[in-house]
Amino acid sequence: MPAKLVVTDLTHHYPDEYTGESVHALEKINLEVNEGELVTVVGPSGCGKSTLLNILAGLLPYREGNASMDGVKIQGPSSERGVVFQEQAILPWRSVAKNIGHGLELKGVPRGEREKRVSEFIKLVGLVGFEDKFPHELSGGMKQRCAVARTLCADPAVMLMDEPFAAVDAQTRITLQEELNRIAIATKKTILFITHSVDEAAFLGDRCFVFTARPGRLREIVNIDIPREKRIWADMNNDPRFIEARDKIMRLVREEVLVSNA
Amino acid sequence: MNILQSISIGVQRRFGRQRLRKIFLGSIPFAVIIFAWFMNGYMGWFPPVFIPPIGEVWASFFLLQEDCPGIGAIVALDQRCLMSTHILSSLSRVILAAVIGLPAGIALGIVAGMSRPISKFLEPIGIFANSISGIAWIPLAIVWFGVGWKTTLFILLNTIFWLLFFNSMMCVRTVSRVYEQSVLTMGGSRWAVIRDVFLPGAMPSIITGIRLALGFGWRALIAAEMVGGDSGLGFMIFSSAAEFRMEEVFLGVIIISLIFLATDRYLLAPLEKWTILRWGLIWKPT
Amino acid sequence: MRNNLNRFRAFWRHFPAAGAINLALIILCILLIWELISSTIDNPSRYLPSPILVALSSVDMIYKGLLPSYFGDTLIRLITGSSIGLALGIPFGLIIGINRTSADIFYPVMNFFQSVSGIAIFPIVVIWWGNSDTTVLVVILYTSFFPIAFTVLSGVREVPMQYIHAARTMGATRFQVIRDVLLPGSMPHIATGSRLSIGFAWRAVIAGEMLAGREGLGWMIFTAQDADKTSEVILGMVMIGVSWIVLDHYLLRPLEADTIERWGLVQR
Repeated sequence: MPAKLVVTDLTHHYPDEYTGESVHALEKINLEVNEGELVTVVGPSGCGKSTLLNILAGLLPYREGNASMDGVKIQGPSSERGVVFQEQAILPWRSVAKNIGHGLELKGVPRGEREKRVSEFIKLVGLVGFEDKFPHELSGGMKQRCAVARTLCADPAVMLMDEPFAAVDAQTRITLQEELNRIAIATKKTILFITHSVDEAAFLGDRCFVFTARPGRLREIVNIDIPREKRIWADMNNDPRFIEARDKIMRLVREEVLVSNA
Repeated sequence: MNILQSISIGVQRRFGRQRLRKIFLGSIPFAVIIFAWFMNGYMGWFPPVFIPPIGEVWASFFLLQEDCPGIGAIVALDQRCLMSTHILSSLSRVILAAVIGLPAGIALGIVAGMSRPISKFLEPIGIFANSISGIAWIPLAIVWFGVGWKTTLFILLNTIFWLLFFNSMMCVRTVSRVYEQSVLTMGGSRWAVIRDVFLPGAMPSIITGIRLALGFGWRALIAAEMVGGDSGLGFMIFSSAAEFRMEEVFLGVIIISLIFLATDRYLLAPLEKWTILRWGLIWKPT
Repeated sequence: MRNNLNRFRAFWRHFPAAGAINLALIILCILLIWELISSTIDNPSRYLPSPILVALSSVDMIYKGLLPSYFGDTLIRLITGSSIGLALGIPFGLIIGINRTSADIFYPVMNFFQSVSGIAIFPIVVIWWGNSDTTVLVVILYTSFFPIAFTVLSGVREVPMQYIHAARTMGATRFQVIRDVLLPGSMPHIATGSRLSIGFAWRAVIAGEMLAGREGLGWMIFTAQDADKTSEVILGMVMIGVSWIVLDHYLLRPLEADTIERWGLVQR
């Protein structure tokens, strides 16, 4: 199977906001994400996970190394790569339906077809009945559902998710993770999912990339061979494959956190 | 008595007790002022050159309009229709300045606000321009444009433009960058970012800015017409005062405030409320 | 190389005098453009004298003692007028804020008189008091009274009910509630309103001096225009702008911010 996203020897520095010291965020990253795969990225905070995502999204220019999609170098944002941001990024002045249809609107899809697609995705993320609500009327979990639906609806080839569930409460997070799993089954999208939660990384990922402390390097790839359909939180805590993968990721991340604190 | 009672109950039901109470209490001072003004006319506490009789003020409106040949002359701002000509020439300047100044100020403000270095550079200029804008420009405007409509228009435009430019620039700066990024990653162009992010994001504050700018602009226009104009309400009250025609001065002042009150209360305030309801509740710039 | 540049940029961002130097550069830029325009137009001394000429005229005016005296006159008028305006407006706002009935009585009439701008009543005031200092003071008083009264009114209204209830349950009298809850609770609004009022008063001073012909900065630019001394007009405008910025940014805004921080209901 051909790799969808390919990153080779990607190194990135950026100037610190306050000291101006050059921060070495990424060091010679090599990774591939296959078509239809859900890959999670974990690592200690400040390891350059978000930098990697911003580069892949095309929001951050880079000089050293290469990042490409379908063999084409990434140079700027494109609707082929949708992003779900960590912060609340759905537009507050648009209703849920209009937010979800925004990507199609930008592409110039006619209204009739747009509405059909939007209602499909509203059903998929379980926001039926909230179409005309505005973001401030939604709970944190619903806002993120809306954000996911917005990205999905623009029908990108790849979805990049930057700790999308970090700001919601624990109960909701579990539901959202199961829903994302369901969506991944239904849409077969290629997804790169960044998180700092080990549980989340092990639960969602087909593979999990563990990053080292700064400068971020790819330390290890953990495979999680659980069929998507079997991934339900109620069963997971008894599943030896999940426990093994989670403990392994946990151990690796803890080592890296200790390094970064030292 | 029963009829009176039922009428009173009916009125109270129709308008609401609290509102009636408010209207009644609020009209007391106006009634007192108008009564005192009437009494002054009869008792002669102050001579008419200080406070003209209320009847004369009312009559002067028609006196000024007396020689007017007809509607056509009113529209053509004929000098014989003094009253309507003064009112319309002030109003048309406000409308002209609003048509030019508002879009220009908003557009340039948004463009400047989108880039942090540019807006940082323009911030001190905006602060400075706003702190001398308005009245202090009148003498220089007279030097440049002479006494007349150009000077008054310039003063008005200058006041409106800088207020709106600065206001829109600062508003755009507060719109979160994540919104811009999210539109860009959905394949939005630069123009789409302006249309879907910066413009709606800054909209509630821009409307507030428009209301503010027009209020300041109206005051500046009156001052400019007094000093450097040859028509308009400001010119009217100033020239009438010079000839001690107090009834015309009072009339002019009352018309000036009624026009301001009407536009502010019935046009701009509802517009502001509507945008804040539409956008502001949803998102307030912080 | 790039690294050094970045380091320099960050250093510059946190260098204390960076703001001042930036500002100086901007001013220099404007002066250059101004000079350029004035050197290309016909008859610059009438339409747009070069900045150097303006600076020279300021030296001349300072030497003759005119500029300081005008400046002082304007400032004294501003201080007297706005302090009387505040002294009347704050208690008035408090009273109508506390008592619903008085608010219902006075709110509409205040609203009406506020929309009669101070400049518009000028011709009337001139006839009543002539071209005197009283005229200017009355106009300043008039323009500064309403903004402060309205902000204090809304400040008193916005003091949360539970503070008043808390004081009442502890046995506070009506007067004690006013003294201990309503007055401190509306302090931030009083500060904001004062700044607003002084801003209005400043515009009124300039306009008042122009129209009533009392010596001061407004009068200076008005008579200079009559005498065809455009450089003095521009000098006066710059003085007006700069002194307001200094007053606003270095005195009024910090005072307002301090008051809000000290008395603000915002808990941090």
